[in-house]
Amino acid sequence: MTSGTSRVPAQPADLPAAIEARGIRREYRTGSTVVTALDGVDLDVPPGEFFGLLGPNGAGKTTLIKILTTLLLPTAGAARVFGFDIEHQTRQIRRIMNMVAGGEQSGYGILEVREQLWMFSQFYGLAGREGWRRVDELVEAVGLAEQRHQRVSSLSTGQRQRMNVARGLLNDPWILFLDEPTLGLDVSSARGIRDLILDWQAAAGGRTVLLTTHYMAEADELCDRIAIVDRGRILAIGTPSELKRRVQGESVFRLELDRLDGGPATLAALPGVVSAVAAAAAAPGGPVRQTAVVNLVLHDDAALSGVVEALGGIGSRIVALQKSEPTLEDVFVELVGRGLEEEEAAPARPARTTTAIGSEPGSPPARPDTSHEAGDLEEDEPH
Amino acid sequence: MSSRLFPPPACSSPAEAAAWTRRRAWAGNLRALVGRAYPRVRGLNREPSWILFEILLPFLTTSAFVFVYRALQAPPEFVGFAVLGGAMTAFWLNVVWMMAAQLYWEKDQGNLELYFSAPMDMMSVLLGMAVGGLVMSSFRAAAVLVVATLVYGVAYSVEQWLLLVAVFVLTLAALYGLGMVLASLFLMWGREAWHLTQLLTEPVYFVSGLNFPVGRLGLIGALAVATIPLAVGLDAMRQLTFSGTDIAFDTPPPEIEALILVGMTVVFTLLARWSLRALETRARREGRLTVRWR
Amino acid sequence: MSEPGAPSSPGSPGVGGALDPARVRGDPGETWRAFATATRLGWQMEANWTDPFLFFVYSVAKPIASVLILVAMLEIIGGSATREYRGYVVVGSALWSFVMAGIAGLAWSILDDRERYRMLKYVVVSPSRLSVVLMGRGVARVAVGAMGAVITLAFGIVLLGVSFDLARVDWPLVALSMLLGLTGIVAVGLILAAVIMQTRQEAWSYPEAVAGALFLVSGAVFPLAVLPDPVELVGLVTPLPWWIEGVRRALLPDSVSGIGGQGSLWTGLTGTPAPEPIQVLVALFVTGVVSTLAAAIIFRAGTRRASSLGLFDRTTGS
Repeated sequence: MTSGTSRVPAQPADLPAAIEARGIRREYRTGSTVVTALDGVDLDVPPGEFFGLLGPNGAGKTTLIKILTTLLLPTAGAARVFGFDIEHQTRQIRRIMNMVAGGEQSGYGILEVREQLWMFSQFYGLAGREGWRRVDELVEAVGLAEQRHQRVSSLSTGQRQRMNVARGLLNDPWILFLDEPTLGLDVSSARGIRDLILDWQAAAGGRTVLLTTHYMAEADELCDRIAIVDRGRILAIGTPSELKRRVQGESVFRLELDRLDGGPATLAALPGVVSAVAAAAAAPGGPVRQTAVVNLVLHDDAALSGVVEALGGIGSRIVALQKSEPTLEDVFVELVGRGLEEEEAAPARPARTTTAIGSEPGSPPARPDTSHEAGDLEEDEPH
Repeated sequence: MSSRLFPPPACSSPAEAAAWTRRRAWAGNLRALVGRAYPRVRGLNREPSWILFEILLPFLTTSAFVFVYRALQAPPEFVGFAVLGGAMTAFWLNVVWMMAAQLYWEKDQGNLELYFSAPMDMMSVLLGMAVGGLVMSSFRAAAVLVVATLVYGVAYSVEQWLLLVAVFVLTLAALYGLGMVLASLFLMWGREAWHLTQLLTEPVYFVSGLNFPVGRLGLIGALAVATIPLAVGLDAMRQLTFSGTDIAFDTPPPEIEALILVGMTVVFTLLARWSLRALETRARREGRLTVRWR
Repeated sequence: MSEPGAPSSPGSPGVGGALDPARVRGDPGETWRAFATATRLGWQMEANWTDPFLFFVYSVAKPIASVLILVAMLEIIGGSATREYRGYVVVGSALWSFVMAGIAGLAWSILDDRERYRMLKYVVVSPSRLSVVLMGRGVARVAVGAMGAVITLAFGIVLLGVSFDLARVDWPLVALSMLLGLTGIVAVGLILAAVIMQTRQEAWSYPEAVAGALFLVSGAVFPLAVLPDPVELVGLVTPLPWWIEGVRRALLPDSVSGIGGQGSLWTGLTGTPAPEPIQVLVALFVTGVVSTLAAAIIFRAGTRRASSLGLFDRTTGS
């Protein structure tokens, strides 16, 4: 995708919103039953952001991505990608975006890696030679240089996914949609892909990534902001820290000291300290250590410096300091009332009409959760 | 690594990147056509079994009909009719299997959503499939024609070579136009599409007069000549390759049939353009672009 | 599946009972169970009478169109003089439904399971023999093909004027010919399936191409005497022409022979115009046995090669 001239890329501030969605609703009709995959989703993603959609299987993440990538029309609502309407300006959107899904088996096994990528480069209008050049660069970048002449059908899962990521970067998209890109990959391959995407995004301002995942750690590591999705609705949006603070406003530390004269009460009286409680010096069954361990709860991280100074003043030496943070799983449980694994392990439940359910038609409908009727749940307004 | 392997975007904004000129859009579609033809062509020498299955065996099938005529002691022209019909079958099957039903296979493979999310026109993709398959089909047709002609001693009598070539090209154009229309329909019909391809074999062979002059079918033949490119193209080619024969074709002269083919090409191409867009919108509305199991 | 916390070693009570020694590859009971399951599966997958469209396509349109092509050819060339051949081509075309189902059908089962359902590898690693599973699927397909055959025959009798006398039908010959013939067909189908296992996705058209080629040497639509001798000999060593001959002779006793006749190898070698029914059955049995042995060898070699090259879960395409 070149216009043949050298340009100074626009700064993110000069660009329209990467994604702007209002009231997105998607229903599927199976016989006489209406199944709601998305139930009024509002979303704003500024250019240059790495945005995550986090939620269990069947939450509606893939449905939303398919709408934004112009593969699916919403039943109601509207959305724009960099100012282009998803319903009426699909051609423009397709010129500036790309998508990569986890577990993709696309392409033609009889082709070599290089050939397969070149074929896709032609679909994005790259000139023949430019396409080969771009392919060779990306093959190098994704670590498939040794496999470039290998047939696609003989690639391992991790290699195949790296090839898919290379395909996603062929046209140098302004927005890249990643639908569970590390699904089924080993730790090393997954890490490699995450690093690659981060490198690509960091190389130029304005590049936006929308990632869907149900791996909390992945979202935590990669995303500037995360939307937690469940049953077709966005329950909360914020940075990982903001979301965790919903669950736990204070900062919790585990402090191990060589000694603590006066016990935890000494610390409890300090400014900014909510509580200081003695904890076990060792794990059950583990070796006993001659140290004092305190679980310290502070109003915020800033209070820690005061604690450290006070400890120095009374002659205590810090042996170990560990911050205990809630995970996004805790956030999910807080918002939804059940764990992610519980949600995924739940047996198929009888259908009810107009219940927000899975992202794909035909997926088993969920039992209506009467403990969390719409309106009971705390929802952040997107900003 | 980042700056070298991930250079800054060539365009300064998404709006600029999305604003393709008409010329660029056409060039892009042409490249997409070449890109999609590429795996078909590459596959030819990587999986050479097609030589047996796409050339030798179809020759034997055509031979079966030749021997039916021999058993009936039919005039020699009828052997030529069967041979021509066998040759043209290659192109018909290319249209039916490698164009019409292909989008269904692509959906099965997970390629369809990648095609639709790319900026190219779907007609380019379909044409690329057709062009890629054309190589194999041409080999098949040529092999059947040449070998059968030599083995069975078919004598041709061509007076208007230019018209014959024109009719052949127009037949292909009309066939591929029809293929694109069928592809868009198949997109909506899911697995029924695969079964529909079965309906487009023997029944179409019968009404198109694959092995006999279609005009002998009376009204059915007339309808076929008016609507099926295979029927009208094959009949015109027979009239031109066996000019001067006493056998009555009972169909319009080849010049008229050539005009019919022109009309079919235009109609099918326009219909394909409309139907691909209309059905894509419908498929997007109903979520049929990405669901595999139907 | 064991309950959490239960002992997980095979044979222990916590894992659904002791290991059943009958669950060993090659055990007759297991073989029958695999065959029956595959037949039932094939029937559910292929039997399409509940879907009018599918029924129309496979059991009505395709077979009838095939016979109409041939009848049209007869009419155009010989008109009423070729009426005696109508029965010949109608029976041959009707029986061809079985050939498509049994021969092409088995190959399509391989392609379906490998390319569409991605199940082939799971079948291969299961205790059931792949050949047994395929034969079960083949039997189901043949049963579905029977519908097309009956409809074509009925169409020919009712609408195309084929003279048919129910009282003159040799039912034992029909039954024996069908039993031996279908066994041979399934054997040939296994051979083709083994070949198809080695090819790529574009192979969807290959089974039909092979069936089309067999059309030439089967005597289905013209007597084998019309063929050059070497080609005729190829046909005579397969079960197809003997099977068709047996069924045709049983249904239409006055029909022209597909095996014998002036200029045929049979007449040249034996001096008789056509084989007797018992001779047909013997030849059918012998060719069927040979086909079955060949199928066993070729299928075994084919699966070995496919296994060594990792072809069972290879999906390719262009």
